[in-house]
Order: sequence, then C-alpha cells, then structure tokens
Amino acid sequence: MLYESAAFFNGGGKLNFRFLLCYFKNAADGRQSTMLKKNRCQTWVLIFFSACLGASAAQEETGIAFTFSRFTLKNGLEVILSPDETLPIVSVVLAYQTGSIHEQPGKTGLALLLENMMFMGSQNVGPMQHIGYVNRVGGEPNASTTEDITYFYQTVPANQAALLLWLESDRMKSLEIDAAKVERAKQALMEEIAERKAAEPYLESLLAFDSLLYPDFAHGHGILGREEDIAGLEVEDVRAFYATYYVPSNAVLVIVGKIEVDKTRELVEKYFETIAPGKKPPLFLPPRPPEKRTVVQAFEDGGVPSSAFHLGYRIASPYSRDYYVLTVLDYLLFHGESARLYRKLVKKEGLALFVSGGIEKRKDVAVMKLFSMNNNETMVELCQKSLLSEINKLRTYEVSEEDLAKAKNLLKRDFLNRLASPQERAIFLAEMLFSPVGLDTLPDQLPKYMRVGPGELRLAASRYLSPESNVILNVKLK
Amino acid sequence: MRKVLGFWGWLLLGLGSLLAQQERFRKSPPIPDPLLRPELPKIESTQLQNGLLLAVVPRPDQPLISLELLILAGESRSPRRQPGLATFTAEMLSRGTSLLSAADLEERIDTAGGDFSTTMTPDYARFTFRFLPGSLDLALEILSAMVLQPDFNEREVAALKRTKFYDLKQKQRDPEFIGRRQLLRILFKDHPYRQSFYSEDVFKNLTRKDIQAFYDLYYRPNNALILLAGKIDLPLAARRVSHFFNTWSKKDIEELRLPEPQANTADRFCFVDLPRAKEATLILGNVIAPLAETDYYPLGVLNQVLGGTPFSRLFMNLREAKQFAYSAFSRMEYYRGCGHYAVIARVIPTASVPSIREIKRELERIGRERVSSFELEQAKSYLIGQFPIRMARLDELSRQASELLAFSSGESRWSGFLESITQVEADRIFEVAQKYVLPKPVVVIVGDKDVLLDELRELDRLEVYDLKGVLVYTLIKGVEG
Repeated sequence: MLYESAAFFNGGGKLNFRFLLCYFKNAADGRQSTMLKKNRCQTWVLIFFSACLGASAAQEETGIAFTFSRFTLKNGLEVILSPDETLPIVSVVLAYQTGSIHEQPGKTGLALLLENMMFMGSQNVGPMQHIGYVNRVGGEPNASTTEDITYFYQTVPANQAALLLWLESDRMKSLEIDAAKVERAKQALMEEIAERKAAEPYLESLLAFDSLLYPDFAHGHGILGREEDIAGLEVEDVRAFYATYYVPSNAVLVIVGKIEVDKTRELVEKYFETIAPGKKPPLFLPPRPPEKRTVVQAFEDGGVPSSAFHLGYRIASPYSRDYYVLTVLDYLLFHGESARLYRKLVKKEGLALFVSGGIEKRKDVAVMKLFSMNNNETMVELCQKSLLSEINKLRTYEVSEEDLAKAKNLLKRDFLNRLASPQERAIFLAEMLFSPVGLDTLPDQLPKYMRVGPGELRLAASRYLSPESNVILNVKLK
Repeated sequence: MRKVLGFWGWLLLGLGSLLAQQERFRKSPPIPDPLLRPELPKIESTQLQNGLLLAVVPRPDQPLISLELLILAGESRSPRRQPGLATFTAEMLSRGTSLLSAADLEERIDTAGGDFSTTMTPDYARFTFRFLPGSLDLALEILSAMVLQPDFNEREVAALKRTKFYDLKQKQRDPEFIGRRQLLRILFKDHPYRQSFYSEDVFKNLTRKDIQAFYDLYYRPNNALILLAGKIDLPLAARRVSHFFNTWSKKDIEELRLPEPQANTADRFCFVDLPRAKEATLILGNVIAPLAETDYYPLGVLNQVLGGTPFSRLFMNLREAKQFAYSAFSRMEYYRGCGHYAVIARVIPTASVPSIREIKRELERIGRERVSSFELEQAKSYLIGQFPIRMARLDELSRQASELLAFSSGESRWSGFLESITQVEADRIFEVAQKYVLPKPVVVIVGDKDVLLDELRELDRLEVYDLKGVLVYTLIKGVEG
C-alpha cells in the first residue's frame, strides 16, 4: 500500500528525469552564435476578459479570470505575459512548434531526442547546469514533446524570472550539439523505449494501430521513434532539426505569475531579441481528408497478458464545430466515475477487463480511440458487438439532458483546472496560440462546449462514428 | 584597396567588440531581485456541535473547490489479525449507501463536476473531493450520504475484494513499491504501523460484519475533520457542512497509544526477488523516533543535502562520480510522532554492493562532518523557493493543511515554515544526523535473483523474503546452498 508523505520537504511534482539520463559531463566547446541588431517589438495587445464566472445570467461563463498581454519580437518570437499576484512565483514556458509530425521517414525519434539534448548544455550553461540553477532556487525544470509542440517549462520564485529567461535564451541561441552528446541522448532514448515497452505490454500494438488509423507517415508514427531510426541518427540530423525548428519565429514564450509587465518585457527583449530569427520552418502540408472505409486487422503479440483490441474513428479536424461536439461525447463515453462505456462493458456486462479511450489530436487531424482488454478472443468479439451497438444508439437516439449536463460539467472541471495554476495556464496559453483558431478565441472555448445540444451530438455521432469508418486492430496472443 | 580593407576590417572588429560587450550578460546568470515572502492564506477553523473539526483555506482565485475529509483511523487501527480492514472500510464508503447504489453515487459525483478519491495512511483515511463551486451542496450531500449511511452490501464487498487483489498484484510489479514495503515491514515489525504493509491476500477473509464494526467504532465526527479550500469562506462552509452533517453523532473513541518504534542498530541486508528486473533497486532506511518538532526543519535541510535533488550528494556520487546508478535520492516520511528516512537508488546490478557501500558512507559522512556552507545555503534555497510553488496547487495546499490539522502540528509549520528553514544552521544538521541517521539502516535489495544473488554473496548475511514478507531463507557468506 502506497501512501503519501506528511512532509513539506518531499517533492511532489512529476519531474521528467528523462533528460538526466542524457547528461553529458564534458564542458561545452564555446562556439559563437550569430547576433542580430536589437529590434523593437512589433505589436502590443492587451486583452482583458472580465466577463467571467457568471457576472450575469445572460452572460456565458468563459472561465478566463485573468489578464494577459501579447507582443511579437522582431525575430518573430511570440510573447505572452500574464500577471498573477496570488503567490510570489513565476512560471515560464517556452514552446516550439515541433514534434514527431515534423520528422522525416528514417529519422523518427528526433523531436524527443532534441528535447533531451536541450538539457545537455549551451554556450554559457554547462551540461546539467540548467537543472542545477533551477533546482537551487526551488524549481524543477521539465519538458514534454507532443506530436506537434515541444514544451519546456518551470516555475520558480518571482525574483528569479530573469534566471529562467537567461537559461531559455541561451539554449535557444546556442545549444551545444556534438557527437558524444548525441550518442548519450540516443542511448537514453533507447533505454526509455525499452522501459516503456516493458511497462506497457500493449504499446507495440498501439503503435501498429496508429499507423492504421493515421495512414500518412507524419501523423502515423509514434513520438518515441523507432529503434533502428534512432540508432542511425547523426549529429548533422540533430543540428539540422534544431536549426529548423528551435528558432524564435517558431516559438512562443509565456510568462505567468507575479510580474511587472513593463519590466518583464524589457527582460524578454534583452535576452531574446538579438537571437537570429532563423528560416521559416517548412510548411506542414495538410493530410488528405479522412477515408471512409472499414479496416480490420490482427496483431499477434507474445508479450501481452490477454486478448485485446483497439478501435478508432477519424473524426472532425480540431477546433471545427463537430470537434467541440465530439469532445463532449468523449466525456460522456470515457470520463468520470460513471463513464458510459466502462460502466457498460466492464461493470454491467463483464465483457472487458478494462476499457479506456478518448479523443486525440495530432495538429490538424483528430481521432477517437478506444482500447479494450478482454479475457479471450470470444470476449473480444462480444465486446465489439456490444460496443458498436452502443455507438449505434448514439447515432440513433439523443442522449438525455442529465447525461449531457454531467459530461459538460466534467469537461468544465478539466477546462478550469487547466487555468488554475500559473504553469498549467502558461502551457494552455501556448497551446492556444499555436492552435489554428488562435489565442483571441480563448474566451469562446468553454462556451463552445457548453452550447452543445443533444441533437448536435447525435448528428456528429452519425457523421463520424459510422460502421463504415471503423478501424479495428485485434490483439491476439501469440 | 588595402586602405579600404583596413577600414572595413576595423569597423567589423569594432562592431564585433561592441556586440560582444552588449552580450556580456549572457556569460553568467543574472543577479536576482530580493526574494518576496509569500503570504499564505490563513487556515480558519471551527468545531461543530458534534465535535467535527471544520477548516477552510480561502483561495478566491481558484476555479474549483477542494474538500478533504480525514477520518483519524488509519491502518494502525486495523486489528492485528486483520491488516487492510481500515483501507477496505474507507473504500467501501463510495460503493453505495442505504438509499443510493454505487452507480447512483458515481452519477452524482460526475454531475457535481467532481472527482473523488480515497487514500490510506497508517494514521488516517483521507477522502478527497474536488468539484465545481456551484456544486457545493450537491458535493456535501453526496459525502454525507457516504459517511453517514454506508451500506456495505455483500455484492460490493465481493467486487472490492477482487479490485483490491488485482490492484496489489499490479503494484507488485514495481520494484520501488516492493522494496519500500519490505523496508517498512522490518522497521515497524512489532508496531501498529506494520498493519499498513500487507499483501494482496489480506482481504479475502474480511466480512461485512468486520467492516461494519470498524466503521461503527471509528467513523465519528469527533474523530474526523473536514477541510475546504478554494472560493469559499468559513461562515458559508460552517452553515452548509452543519446542514449536511449535523445528524452525525459523536461517540467516545479509545485513544490509540502508539509505542515508540525502535531504530535498527545492526547491519541487516534483505533481498526480494523480482524476476526479469533489469536493474537492482536499493532501499535503505531507518526509523526517526521520537520525532521532536524542533528537529523537523533541520531534518528537511539534511534530506536536501543528502539526496533531495540531482545536485545532492547521493546523485552526484552514485550517478555522476561512480556511474553506478541511474538515480539516487533520499526522502523523509513522517507519521504521528515519528517517521523514517529512505534512500532509494536504481543501480546497475553488478554495482549493487559497491552502491550500498557508497550510500552507507554518505549516511555516515553526514553524521561525522558538518555540511559546507555552500551545501547548506543551496539546500535551504531549494526548500524556501519550493514552498510557495507547491502551495500554488489547490490539491497540494489542501493536503498540507489537512495533514497539519490531523497531526496537530500547529500553525508554525504553516506560517513559520520559511522562517524556521532560514534559521537552520550546520550545527543543527550535524546534531540531527547524529541523533537519527547514524544508526545502521536496513538495506533492502529488489531485483532478479538469477542476476543478483551471486553479486550479493559477498554480504556477510542476506535474508531472502518473498512478496508476502515471509523470510524464505538466509544466505551466509562462505556457506554453500
């Protein structure tokens, strides 16, 4: 039985120590980097959403109870500043528009490898020193890579904001990449893949399922990368990826916390404005429209504990109207204590040992996925029948107002929770800025979900969750 | 031509030098502004007529409300022959009441936009409920139904037994879980806290009657506290909590007198087999008892110096200098009146014995030499800086505040934490290191026996345990078999 500690002293955060495994001890070689003339920033936008939290009955709740300002440096770096006086802390998020979808065939794993390398030293910050500087003032640096965005984030006492800007600007400007560091990062990534495969027996089948569900290479390959590709990565590949995507014009810097806006802006200009803008990263070509055809395949695996299946649908693109509608449906089916599919398939009918799922977006495409673990292949078959009949009900009948309200409340809780702490809020702001609908639509986000009605839900289910577009991968014991 | 080149050359050199001067700030970290001290919200509290302690931590900036109910009957209250009973009783609360089925409760929790969880410690059961502010009444209604009218029906008892069995089976794939549990089984061998460290089969003989009896004995308002944090104040909380909990009747509860656990004083090496584990996981620890309130802060700083971060001694030595370990950290865990420290390291199997030696050397060193002023300041700076960062999260804030109330630790750990850390000096760390850490730690090694046992043969005596904590055999150095 695991229980919590009673102390203030034990760190409670989920620190990603992956990058620690890549730490390389040798000092940097002191390469010089290009500098640009100091530029004035281009735009200044001040937005204040005071229409939050039920000011009047007619007004819709936006959940946005904070102010932020936004400007762009001449090198293209987008900057968002959001003061929050609650506690004397500051969160800094630097997000780059890059992830696994930007990798080329044969070069998978590059995005995650580079995330690790960002902790291995830059011109003025030695290997591991980034973590050391942040640790010493009470912060815990962290990073995460998604299919299309790579985030670097940390929270420190407010008086140390300049420290974070110094650290982030140095690795944006002059990351030290050499053969030894690349080798160390490759080794760490391989270890991580081995660990993940050992801990997640269905990972291999999930990766195979992704390549069915997303037929194009860019979306269909995993963030972890393929071992054979990682083994073949060379220093020049890493340098080229860094030079292409880790540039100011491809990034957003978000600062949330106890800050003086003018002073913070001066600091941002000081540390970031002389960084070369870099070339505009190549345009990401939108994929072909989703195919409407059923795909059913089998995957034999000797390492899984029992039979299982993955099922998915290609749905409306992120931030389209149907996407909002289907997200509410996602909450109805997969979230909360009374999630409909878990209750039906696991608790009531006993056809599955475990069921999970939800909507996943990879930049410009989205899917709804389900994973079910079953006792045997007969149960897989029965479970699929029951599941598809439940989905069919959603296409035929409207859900009750009570169920819809419940799903919306769960969604609202998660939405508001993403805005509750400075760090979560900063990450959310970065995500919105990079989204196709942009930051200005932030106040509309929660109302868009809350306006979804039962009729819309049925129509969207009809449109996207049809039997003609099922993608199924049956996982069989070898 | 040469003149022209000379001019441009000088100009470029001049510009380069100018730019280099302008960018000198990049060479070293900026000097920070003065540190701002956080103003923590006050913990306001009142006692309701039935003895229920109600506390509120106002955080009007937060979009959700967090509620914590603590029942001061942790696993140490489980009867000696029935470990796990406290945990099982707590988890049954959300599985149906006399009027609402488990499914009804789940529906209502979701309608409140809520999430609900149960956690058990040796000292208390914690029920955490986070919900939308507009759902305060609904949340209190759900919670009061669970606490005041639990049903403990046979079908749900059977279902929970299955769930608990598989949960524990699953956890037993984690070497850190296995090692920590074995360490604490040994450290708290004859102590009521031993009840917390059970195996998956303890639930099978529990009956509805046992659960009901445990509930009747300990689930009383005078043995509980409720803490609400978020957009709420004490007067509102008192009105609404009274409304939903005023029928909860109090009853005298026999005080649990916890004996003082004895620290381990002799070399002791224990092994638990985890087939196919690629690494060796080492867990070393010892009891901290009795814990004096004034030692709490120097122990915190000591932990940071020893193994709180990647820049602490253990990580720098085992991973960076010796390259034995993937990771090496230390932590302190506290209970009512005592605690324990633990060093946790994931190491290369062939480096298991040298790693144990290095960890023990570091434990001895911290009780033999005073920490340097650099290490001291670095550790204090981390703790002082991290305090407000952790308080930014509503769940963490509620957890810390409710725990202070449960342990009656006093306001000083809340409002005086930073001041107390600031005042810690090297001499005090030296004192607490001598007092608590030097006694020899129990060493638990978890890994694949086919890989590790040969490596461990150089230890004088190795006790080999199974997953249930039963001693299977002992290997003595130089003795075959």
